[in-house]
Formats: sequence, C-alpha cells, structure tokens
Amino acid sequence: MQIIENSKVKEKLYIEKLENGLTVMIIPKNNIAKKYIIWATHFGSIDNHFIVPKTGEEVKIPDGVAHFLEHKMFEQRNGTNSLDTLSAIGVDANAYTTNDHTAYLYEATDNFYEALDEFMDYVQNPYFTDENVEKEKGIISQEIKMYEDYPEWQVYLNAIKCMYKENPVRIDIAGTVESISEITPQTLYNCCDTFYNLANMAMVICGDFVPEEILEEVKKRIIKNENGGEIKRIYTPIETEINEKEKVVKMDVNNPLFTIGYLDSPTSENIVKKHIAIQILLEMICGKSSELYRNLYSEGLLLNELQLDYEFTGNYAHVLITGQSKEPRKVIDKFKNEVEKIKKDGIDEEIFIRTKKKIYGRYVMDYNSVSDIARMFLSDYFKGINSFDYLEEYNQVTKEFVTQILNEIFQEEKMVISIVESR
Amino acid sequence: MNCNKINLKEGINLHIINTNKFKTNLLAVFLTMPLNRENVTKNALIPMVLRRGSSKLANIEQINNKLDEMYGADFNCGVDKTGDNYILKFYMESINNNFLPEQENILEESMKVLLDIVFNPLTENNGFKNEYVESEKENLKQIILGKIDNKSRYAYDRCIEEMYKGKPFGLYKYGYVEDLEGINAKNLYEYYKKMISECKIDIFISGEVDNSSKEILESNENIKNTKERQPIYNKKSEKADNVEQERVIEEKMDVSQGKLIIGLEVEKNDKGSKYSALVYNAILGGTPTSKMFQNVREKAHLAYVASSNYIRHKNNIFIRCGIEIADYQKALDLIKVQIEDMKKGDFTEDDIKNAKSSIISTIKSIPEEQDSEIMYYFGQEISEHKMEYSEYEQNIQNVQKQDIINIANSIKTNTIYFLTSNN
Repeated sequence: MQIIENSKVKEKLYIEKLENGLTVMIIPKNNIAKKYIIWATHFGSIDNHFIVPKTGEEVKIPDGVAHFLEHKMFEQRNGTNSLDTLSAIGVDANAYTTNDHTAYLYEATDNFYEALDEFMDYVQNPYFTDENVEKEKGIISQEIKMYEDYPEWQVYLNAIKCMYKENPVRIDIAGTVESISEITPQTLYNCCDTFYNLANMAMVICGDFVPEEILEEVKKRIIKNENGGEIKRIYTPIETEINEKEKVVKMDVNNPLFTIGYLDSPTSENIVKKHIAIQILLEMICGKSSELYRNLYSEGLLLNELQLDYEFTGNYAHVLITGQSKEPRKVIDKFKNEVEKIKKDGIDEEIFIRTKKKIYGRYVMDYNSVSDIARMFLSDYFKGINSFDYLEEYNQVTKEFVTQILNEIFQEEKMVISIVESR
Repeated sequence: MNCNKINLKEGINLHIINTNKFKTNLLAVFLTMPLNRENVTKNALIPMVLRRGSSKLANIEQINNKLDEMYGADFNCGVDKTGDNYILKFYMESINNNFLPEQENILEESMKVLLDIVFNPLTENNGFKNEYVESEKENLKQIILGKIDNKSRYAYDRCIEEMYKGKPFGLYKYGYVEDLEGINAKNLYEYYKKMISECKIDIFISGEVDNSSKEILESNENIKNTKERQPIYNKKSEKADNVEQERVIEEKMDVSQGKLIIGLEVEKNDKGSKYSALVYNAILGGTPTSKMFQNVREKAHLAYVASSNYIRHKNNIFIRCGIEIADYQKALDLIKVQIEDMKKGDFTEDDIKNAKSSIISTIKSIPEEQDSEIMYYFGQEISEHKMEYSEYEQNIQNVQKQDIINIANSIKTNTIYFLTSNN
C-alpha cells in the first residue's frame, strides 16, 4: 500500500489499487467510535451516452437512470432489501447520486463487519424485475416533486441550464416523471454491466482500523475479480459559450433567490491551485468579511451570506454565487461593479493574506468527522485529486496567480443569471 | 463524567467537555428564558443585533476580519425552542492550537470575541446602535415572511402552531411582524439588560481543553461583570389542548407535492415512558424498517419521505409525508392503519430489536460530533436529569413490548395538517 502523510492535519492516507482495478483508500482514525465506508462507481447523471462493453452497442439512456439504479441496488433476489437488513443491525446506511458518481455508504459504531458482508454483497449483486422497477417509479416521482418545490434547487438548475446548451450536467439528477417512465430492468442491467465494474469504482474507509487488516477484509468479500477495463463514454463537446443570459421563474416564495454563474473551461493542469485561487477570490469579492458584503447587508439587500461554489469535472467547470434578496438585480449589478473594480485596482495584499488564513482554517476543519473525510476523498478522487493536495499546494497560491485567475474567469460574456421571483 | 460542570456564579454554569476527537474547539453560550408571546419577537431580534457589532469590534467587517485572522474561526448564532423555553445560541468554532501553522492561542482569543459579542454589545445613547436595530428589524421581517419559502418545513411549523394554539410551544420562533413596529434601539436594549440579568446562562467548551479554560473564563471581564441570578425559565411545559375529535387543517399554496403532517400526543408521561416512546417512534416511522417507510413508501409507493420524529421535551410525535395530492385520503387511511396496528401490538420482537439497535447507535454517535454532545448535556441541564450514555442505553434496552403497547394506546391524534395545491 502506498502511504501519504500530511503533517498539517496529522493524518495518513493508505491507498491501494487492487488487481481487479478497484481503488481502496483508507484513512485510519484512532479514538473514534464511528466507522465509515463509502463505495462508489464513476457513474453519474452526466454519463448518459456510452458503448456497452459486452455488445459494442452504442446507447443513450433516459434522464435519471444513475439515480434510479441507486434506489434499486438495495433490492435482493431473495426478496429482502439491503437497506432494511443494514438498518436492522443498527448501522446507518444510505446512498446518493451526483453528476459524476453514485455512492453507497454506511456508518457504524457496532457490527461493522457483519454490515460489510451485506454491503459488499448488495453492491455487487443487482436484481431487477419488471415489478420492482415499476414500483420505484411512484417513489422517485415523489422525490422529483419534492425537489420541484425547493426554490434553492430550481434557482441552481436554471443557472446550469443558462450556461449549458447540450452538456448533460443540465439534466436534473433524478430525471423527470416522464423520463423515468421509460426505464426498464434491461436499461438498469446495461448500466450496471458497464459502470459497476471494479476498475470504475473506488472505496474509501475512515475510522479506527489497521489499514492492512481492513484491506484484507475488503478483498475477501469481492465476488467477481475480473477487471472490466476502460469504459467508452461519449461526451458532448466542451462548451465555451453560454447558452442563454438569464432565466427567471416565479414561485410561492417571500424572498427572491438568485444565482450568478460564470462558465469556465475545464482544465486538468493545476486544478487544485486553481480551485484554491477561486475560493480565495470569491471570499475576497463577496465573502462575509468583504466590503461588498458589508455594504449589501447594511443596505438590507442581502438577508444572509452568499453561498460560493466552484463545480468541475473534465467536461465542465463553473462558478456559482447564490443568495436571497428582495432586489436580486441590484445585488447582481453591485457584484459586477465590484468585480470590475478589483480587476482595475488589483488585489489588496493585506486582504489576500487574511483570506488565505481563513481558507487554510476551513481546510483543516474538513478533517473533523469520518464521514466528511471519506466523502471528500471520494469525490476528489473522481476528479483525479488527492484531497491532501489542497493543504500542500495552498502555500504556492500567489497573488499573481490569483490575479490571473480573476481575469480568466470573471468575464461578463461568460456570466449568467438565474432568479426565482415571488409570485 | 464526560462533561465537567463548574458553577461560575449562581445561574451561570461552565461545562467542559474534554475530547481529542476533533481538529477544532467549539465554544457555545446558551441563554435560556421562558418562551412567551410578549417577548418572542424581541428575543429573536437580539442575536441578530448582537452579531452586528460589540463595543470592541464595532461592525460586521471588523468582527469577520478578526475571525479570518484566527484562521477562519466561525461565529454563528440562532434561536430555538426547547420545550416551553426559548434559547438564544451563540457558537464559536476555531482550529485547535495543535493544528495551527504557527504557535498561537486561538482558544483564548475565541472566548474573548464570543463573550464580547454576547455580553458587551455596541451601544449609543443608552440603547443599541439605532442603525443596526432598524436594519435587523427589516431582516427579521423578511425571515418571518420567508416562513413559506421551504414548504416541508412550513407544513411542519404550521402543524405545531395549530396543535399549540395560544400556548408557548405554538409560537413561531422568529416572532411576529406586527410586534416589530413597537421595537426600537432603546427599548430593545432595556429589554436585553433585563433578560441578560435574569436568564439561565450555560457556557460550553468542547475540545482538547483542560481546566485552565476555567481560569481564563473566570478572569474574563464580561463574566466578572455578569451578576449571579436565580434564573427564570420553565421547568414544566404546557400540553396541547385535549381534542375529542382530531382537528383537520388544510391550506393551499402553489406546490407540486402535498405535504402531510400528523401531530400525535403521547398521553403517558411517567418515569421511563420517554424511552418507550422513543422505541415506539422508531418502529412507527424512525427507521427504514419502520411501518411508515415499509408500508407507505415501499409497499404502497405513495411517498418518498414517509417518517416520524419524537419531540422528547413535548412528548409529541410528528408524522411527515410528501404525497401526490390526489392520494391524500389513501395515504391518511394507510397511516391510520399503522397507528392502529401499533395499538394492537402488531409488531415483532425483531422490530423491537431493530428499533433499539438504531437508537443505541444514535446514542453512541453523540460524542462523535461536538454540537450533538453539547446539545446532549444541555438537554440534561434543562431537564435537570443527569445521565451518562451507558445509562441511557440501558434504559432503551429495558423497554419491553408491553411498554410500547401501553404507549401506543395512550397516543391520540391531535392535528392533521395538509398543505395542498391551489388547483
């Protein structure tokens, strides 16, 4: 096993790529009663067009399949449901789907190994029938409708739709009531065969473990040891121009919500450094300690601090700034002016240093819980990143580099606006 | 004892939780007072005004710059109802000194800043700063009106409101718009002075700390200046009105999905019945193996969310469901069957075992999160009942089937609330 140590947070990462292609990462934590395991396939809502390895057939799948599959994996041939089985022995099991991966997980204070039997068995044993697929459509339809009532989700998805014309990131992860109605057991088996092969999967384990021992326990429970090889995914071309400038919808809300998005070009080079620089920039421009935030807040234009995000994979990248305001347009205008002002005046040295300190503290705080640690290492892994790199590369982020990123990303023609207004 | 309670002055306690599980120290100050119609809006407004500036750090920018310098220490505040008490909560989370790049004592500094915000506000002309009070009144107004923004949360709050009409627990924790007009910088400050001299004060420190933090606190000017008191707060709480026939409330809004909330009153309330009620709730709707999840979601496919939660301080259970609007009667009938089945004792020893192991794993997870552990000990402080985790676990283990049936038969459906669509 390869061991990577980080002296800043005093943690170690043990990493091993098994012969069957599965990557296993272990972060041991002494003194912690909770054990956490997460196992994921590099298959998310954006992977909707690919070649089935067995048949060589090119397929396009309906929106929402990865998420549907996540719901159905728990179903067992003997009629039991693994979520029930795990819950019955007192472990807290769950699963989730993102744009680029589907993850299964549980946390346990007792019965970890008993749970591991069931956990590794169900993720490797799909069982789909017409009946069990049909019944899930009712449940997922309610999940979709629940999200339709969330203004935060609507404002987010509309910003994405403004930025992208074709990229499947613009699809709702759960699909639509119509799109999931097309799903059959065969659709699910095709996706399982393609994406649930060990070479396309990664596992992260965090808790009080001896790394060599837990790795052996995992190996023992692997059923099919073959390496499924490379998957051919067909992606839409990388988009460099925004799709539409803005989208405004009305909902039954008292306080309008808004999202400002900046379309960025995905890069593989210096991605961690770039991400750190963007976090510093966003904090400097409109974070809690910025002049802009103070002004907007005192003028009653913001109810709360803004949510600042940078999302990226190999096929898309964008910045998102989300908030609630009675006058979103005013906030957006002031935000734009602030960006231009910083571009013109340059970055203030003192603010830069202070913001860097804050960001550093936040990286350390990420190591507080076994679940946060495991989830962070997993999602970074699928982006080709080792999470420790944020702590390692932090010092190399200079004011000059941040200035360069500022001019690269925050361009008016790459900016979109999404607003949810009150009805 | 995991938590060391030190009486600083009458009515003012320090609770030290020494733990090495985290990278951070978490400080909390809780002010406890009776929940009532007269003061609820003022109480909600106070933390919002206090966070605007202290006499040492006079505005948001100064406070946040200071926090950034302390490697992104995180200040947070909020309000909560616990039984018939109102709690003002103030938190400061900062990196443990062991994980700082340079030798500094951030813990001591964090305490100073936190206590300053709570006990030493910025004042002018014998009142709070007028500008802050006026702008926070407007913000609070938006928050109160924004109650409708999250529909699931809104439905839940409304059910409680209907169930406890005219009683403290039925009050909306952010207060009422009509009260705002009468509040000004001067009378709010007068109220604050009275409140802070009468309320119960609990200060928590969780992290790698020792008893030296006691000395630091005792020598703190703000603590020195705060007088001892016979704290005024509610040790008992008012029950919901007895209803012969359950009340049915329907409200219309622009929603895709109907939100059904059912408020249950647990009439049995003796020693030990809270543990039986917890197990009852887990079997009814607290876990994936529960009756709600299995029958309403998995078998009837009526919902994605189908669960229940138990509020210990009020001895109430709330059932929550997101359903197709046309399925209202079907879902309601099915839920009633679950409640009846519980009364008949129609659940197995396995169900009891599953419920217990789920609760016990939750208990074991409490010390794995700083805030949960603080809330655990604070809950005990308010109910004046000390109990270690092991005793809590034993009390759950002791629950027998007959105890659960007794709880089931003491349960009355009080209010059925349905948020439905306009058309």
